[in-house]
Amino acid sequence: MTMAGHDRTGLRKVRIYGVLLALLGIMMFPFYTMVASTFKPEQEIFSTPATLVPDEFTAEAYLTVWTQTDVLLWVGNSFLISISTVVLTLLLAIPAAYSCARNEFVGKRTFLLSVLVVQMFAPVVLIVGLFDVMVSLRLYNTYLAVIIPAAAFTLPFNIWMLYGYFKTIPLELEESARIGGASQFQILWKIILPLAKPALVASITYTFLYAWNRLLFVLTFLTDDAKFNIPRGVFSMVGALQADWRMMLTVSVIGIVPILILFAFLEEYIVAGMTSGAVKE
Amino acid sequence: MTSVNQEYNEQTTDTRIEWLRTEVLANYTAYLLITPAIVFLLSVVAYPILETFRLSLYQSPTNSPVETFVGLDHYVAIFQSDIFYQLLWQTGRWVVASVTLKTVLGLLIAVHLNQQIAGRKFFRTAFLIPWGIPYAISAVVFRWIQHPQYGYLNAILLETGLISSPIGILGNTSTAWFGAVLADVWIGTPFMAIIFLAGLQSIPDDLYEAAAIDGAEWWHQFRYITVPQLKSVILIATLLSTIWTFVSFDVIWTMTRGGPMNSSATLVIWIYRVAFDQGSLGEAAAFSVIGFAFLLVFAILYLRLYTRGGESL
Repeated sequence: MTMAGHDRTGLRKVRIYGVLLALLGIMMFPFYTMVASTFKPEQEIFSTPATLVPDEFTAEAYLTVWTQTDVLLWVGNSFLISISTVVLTLLLAIPAAYSCARNEFVGKRTFLLSVLVVQMFAPVVLIVGLFDVMVSLRLYNTYLAVIIPAAAFTLPFNIWMLYGYFKTIPLELEESARIGGASQFQILWKIILPLAKPALVASITYTFLYAWNRLLFVLTFLTDDAKFNIPRGVFSMVGALQADWRMMLTVSVIGIVPILILFAFLEEYIVAGMTSGAVKE
Repeated sequence: MTSVNQEYNEQTTDTRIEWLRTEVLANYTAYLLITPAIVFLLSVVAYPILETFRLSLYQSPTNSPVETFVGLDHYVAIFQSDIFYQLLWQTGRWVVASVTLKTVLGLLIAVHLNQQIAGRKFFRTAFLIPWGIPYAISAVVFRWIQHPQYGYLNAILLETGLISSPIGILGNTSTAWFGAVLADVWIGTPFMAIIFLAGLQSIPDDLYEAAAIDGAEWWHQFRYITVPQLKSVILIATLLSTIWTFVSFDVIWTMTRGGPMNSSATLVIWIYRVAFDQGSLGEAAAFSVIGFAFLLVFAILYLRLYTRGGESL
């Protein structure tokens, strides 16, 4: 790079931006089609070939889904399911991760590796066994039937990520507290967790997204449409013989707004979490 | 362990008892803290696995508690059926096409993001977004794009004169699977890009500087520095992506439900179909056990890569 002249550097920049913008255009195109379609009047959405820019803008579709579908309820359920999953996962992951980061004990390695294997056992392959369990525990068609599996499949990632982060917190900080008579639980709550905030934010974001996005558990374990989350709600609109594309896309747009907000604020934590959970450097 | 023993031997009897007591207590807390996670994982993951194995030996209708022991009948029937081999081929085709495209595109994005350019944070966030959208929603959007009459894909192809009459990718038995691949690649590429970007950032700059002084073109730098340095990251990321693509459910189910005429069904789609459309838990369990066998191979590979070099945990 140092040897390259101004012209070559300039050309390189053009090439890099060119490629990035082209790829970004391709990646953004599906969003564009989704959003653009929701602002078209009903007859224009069914024109052949499709118009790239709506001839006429209208927000009518948003009013219609507001009054004619359960979109608000679905968004609410998504929040309920996601937040509960986050709480349950953290309650289980924090103590386990802390214990492994701070103690040497027989079986620790086995525990951590088994947890890693759980991450490989995908929900779909377990769905038949889980279905049987949910029915016999009478959890079928309750929110718990969705929250419990979601927590189980996000737990491995959370344990590993928090374990890695807890290890980087200096031991001296705890020792002075221990001399002051604090219990291990108090140390965890008052010293470790505040210091581990970046890792916790990454954990929470990952788990929240996982629970928000998943269709499988809701599709299998919830029959009552008042309990549907956003993906399930959208899916229920696909099911009809003549799909109402305009309504379906509008509900989809509403369903991804919370995620876009999450991304705008927490991008760094999401990236940190994604990279530290899957790949060791 | 040795330091613990030394500490132990250096102490007098009285303090030794006291030390032992605190040591046991300390470990007691350690075990106590991991117990909830263990109990939870045993009951939500390990037990359903055992239950799946057990069910695979029974004739068990989904909507009734009646179970009849049939032994290995389900397995025999599966291995003798044509659909099983069709599913293997379709699953393999789906995984290879999707993972290859995700890896190549992810690498392309990562290499270009790993440059000194303005707005890198913007690009990074923008590229990541598709990964965060519910798969079912992305699948609906891709169905819309590929709609034979009203879709944008047809509009573009028609406008540019690449086709003369509208095509229905998802309605055709030979192309439906690829329509789903397009959506899956769109969803999965951001993860690959971000992982590769993290890997690229750990490659020392002086390697490139030395190569630039020697007059190496970007292609040579990519081939002889980037790819070898990134090898282990690429390996882990593609393996993870292979596992996730293998078990991917939401996308195919929302786009085609495995159709038309099972042409886009994979092994996991079939498990779901047999269990909840055909209502046979036992047979679906047998398919699941076969799925486990594949996952086990992936899991062993992953563990070996992850713990390579005897690094302690």
